[in-house]
Amino acid sequence: MEQEITSKINSYLTFKLGDEEFAAHVGKVLNILEMTKITQVPKAPDYLKGVINLRGAVLPVIDARIKFGMPEAEYTTNTCIIVLDIDLDGDSVHVGAIVDSVQAVLEIDNNQIMPLPTLGSRYKSEFIIGMSKVDEKFIIILNMDAVFSIDEITALKVNAEMNADSADVEKVE
Amino acid sequence: MDSFKKKFIEEASELIDKLEVTLLELEKNPDDPTQIQQVFRVMHTLKGNSSMFGFDLIDKFTHNLETVYDLIRNNQLPLTPQVLNVTLASIDHLKAMLDEGNYDDPDFLTTHNGLIAKIDQLINPDKPNEEKKSEVKDEHDPDAVIHTYYIMFEPRQDIFRNGTNPLYLLDELAGLGQSKVFAHFNRVPLLDSINPDYCYVYWEAIIATEQAVNAINDVFLFVESESTLEIQKIADLNLLSDTKFVEEVTQLSNVQKDIGYVAVQKLAGQAAARLNKQKSEVVKRERIGFRDKSTASIRVSSDKLDSLMNLVSELVTTQARLSLFAEENNVPGLGPIVENVQKLSRQLRDIAFSIVLIPIENLFGRFQRLVRDLSLELKKDVEFLTEGADTELDKTIIENLSDPLMHILRNSLDHGIEEAGIRVASGKPTKGKIALIAFYSGASVIIQISDDGAGIDPEVIREKAIQKGIITPERKMSKKEILDLVFLPGFSTAKKVTDVSGRGVGMDVVKKKIAEIRGEVDIDSEVGMGTTITIKLPLTLSIIDGLLVSINKTAYVIPLAAIDKIYAIEKAKIYSAFNNLVTLDGKQISFFSLRKEFNLSPSDEELEQVVVVNYEDNCVGLVVDFVIGEYQAVLKPLGKHYKNHDVFSGATILGDGTVALVMDSNKIIKEFAKIQTIKVK
Repeated sequence: MEQEITSKINSYLTFKLGDEEFAAHVGKVLNILEMTKITQVPKAPDYLKGVINLRGAVLPVIDARIKFGMPEAEYTTNTCIIVLDIDLDGDSVHVGAIVDSVQAVLEIDNNQIMPLPTLGSRYKSEFIIGMSKVDEKFIIILNMDAVFSIDEITALKVNAEMNADSADVEKVE
Repeated sequence: MDSFKKKFIEEASELIDKLEVTLLELEKNPDDPTQIQQVFRVMHTLKGNSSMFGFDLIDKFTHNLETVYDLIRNNQLPLTPQVLNVTLASIDHLKAMLDEGNYDDPDFLTTHNGLIAKIDQLINPDKPNEEKKSEVKDEHDPDAVIHTYYIMFEPRQDIFRNGTNPLYLLDELAGLGQSKVFAHFNRVPLLDSINPDYCYVYWEAIIATEQAVNAINDVFLFVESESTLEIQKIADLNLLSDTKFVEEVTQLSNVQKDIGYVAVQKLAGQAAARLNKQKSEVVKRERIGFRDKSTASIRVSSDKLDSLMNLVSELVTTQARLSLFAEENNVPGLGPIVENVQKLSRQLRDIAFSIVLIPIENLFGRFQRLVRDLSLELKKDVEFLTEGADTELDKTIIENLSDPLMHILRNSLDHGIEEAGIRVASGKPTKGKIALIAFYSGASVIIQISDDGAGIDPEVIREKAIQKGIITPERKMSKKEILDLVFLPGFSTAKKVTDVSGRGVGMDVVKKKIAEIRGEVDIDSEVGMGTTITIKLPLTLSIIDGLLVSINKTAYVIPLAAIDKIYAIEKAKIYSAFNNLVTLDGKQISFFSLRKEFNLSPSDEELEQVVVVNYEDNCVGLVVDFVIGEYQAVLKPLGKHYKNHDVFSGATILGDGTVALVMDSNKIIKEFAKIQTIKVK
């Protein structure tokens, strides 16, 4: 029931990483927090920034920039932690994602979501649901479950040599 | 209704487990009447419950089983091993019966009918006395059918002429049941006017009997025409069992010439009321007794317990925050209150945690059965001893312990205990011995499984490890290190793969499973003497007493249970130490600087502190910036994203709201030691 309702909602939360704007379905977003003190976990991968206290629970926090293979940036007053509800092998797992800034909640109709260009895409298709043009800007709608899964860095952008491979796959599809 | 069924199944499983344990006891002492009684009682309860909840199949099945044990306890049937085998098989079947989904399974039906036939055969080896059984049945409720009658027997004066002796009639009457007869002599005239042929006496009698009123009439059948007879039923119970009634009637008969039906009836009414009340009191008392038993242990859904635990955890966290607040803000009068809250929450925590602890008993019972069946299958005579069945552990731990323990026991039976011939040859008693012992040791519980079997030859292990390429031939290892090799994946020393064990998926899985519940496994073996496997487990999984330490302004918790001593040490000593060894109290202790291991820069302070923790049989120092103090850490999982970082068993939230990581001192040392050996290589 709940699932059905949330999937019918066409609201997306947009956020910025560097110059690019991304969107996540609001059904995946639980909360937006200001940047707080993060307790580092030694010897963990870089993108796993540590853990924070979310109202008595321990929440792992991921730096979205590092996870997406972008250069790390200084945290500013705009830096936020988006608390996400990720589906991980059938379990619902909460995780925080550090983003440069949160922009807005937009209504995007399903028919406004365009598939990625099949050729020459800079992004791996499994992480992206599609793109949408809002106010002359392109927003990339992310598949949050895939992006924030446990795997090591899921470089969002395709490497040069991998480009050919994934293009092949897409052609087959 | 479904929830009732669920409850029934829960209860029935427990009863079946209990039955199994008792039967195994009975197998050891077949003549113990209390055990037979116990078996009978449990079966009876099971039967009653199942018929109440509509499990007719179980009801019928246990009824037959119950009959067998009824015969046994009445010494009408010997308790043979065959009976026990059939009963144990039936118990397995009963377990299957609890799942109604099984009922259509053809295999289930075959077993069912087969067992019923077997049980029938036990009851009637040569079709004997059905009626004996029914006799026994009748004894069950002697009270229900007894009625009390009032009889007024007034013979005619000339009754003697026919040769009738009224006293014989009264004797006959008394034979019907319990009776109280009052003879009335008030009509006897003075001696000078007496006619010796006349009967002047008349009687009143109160009789309590199971017989119908006709039986009483029959007694007086031949004198009916020569006497006045009045027979009245006064109550549907045994009034004569009420002493007050008897007293009252007797008194009445003493003061009055005759009691009379009306008076008796009046008294009877009172007595009946009294008796009924008593009876209901007995019932009530029984019920209260029952309730007393049930308050001794009540069923609570584990969901409720989980939320209780969570709340207690939150409370402990909040209390820590309160303590901190009181420390920082010197509010007059707050200190004692905070101290009190701390004391109370500590007590509450301890009680809440003891609630979720359950005795390991049930698990042990299951293993009794396993060992019995296996020893029959392997044709090895084994004595299985358990000790410390009342040792309590967290429910989740016990649940997760079942498989590893089963595996170890199988190994002991299959590989440990030798064939009888070999045992005799090596001067051991033919009967092997396996002991399963549980006991408390500080904040942990130790479970030991030891056998007096062949033991493990370190040389065989070594060769095998070399053969499998796990170690190199020139590698020098202590005996303990060699024995620890059996915990590596794919390592099995069994010469033949049997049905029971030896597939090499053994000890590594055991170790992994036990590590999952924060436990440790240790193996010790002496060739020819036997093997002992020791499992060390934490009492609970969710709160630990810890030591709060600071490293680079971040707080960490080290479990207090592992900590031996704390020393202050000069920084220079650590960074100049050769081979990571320091001398503390005259002992050489290897240490790890956590700053260094966590890839942090050396601290600016001149003095650091070494927390010495027990690691396996050694002491290892962990160097931290400084020790903050003791702390009750409510363990919170780090989440799936950190599942590969098991050097931290979780995190806890401190009074100021920040998160502190809880170290798993054993894993952390193991991890660092591994890195170090690689570096040395």
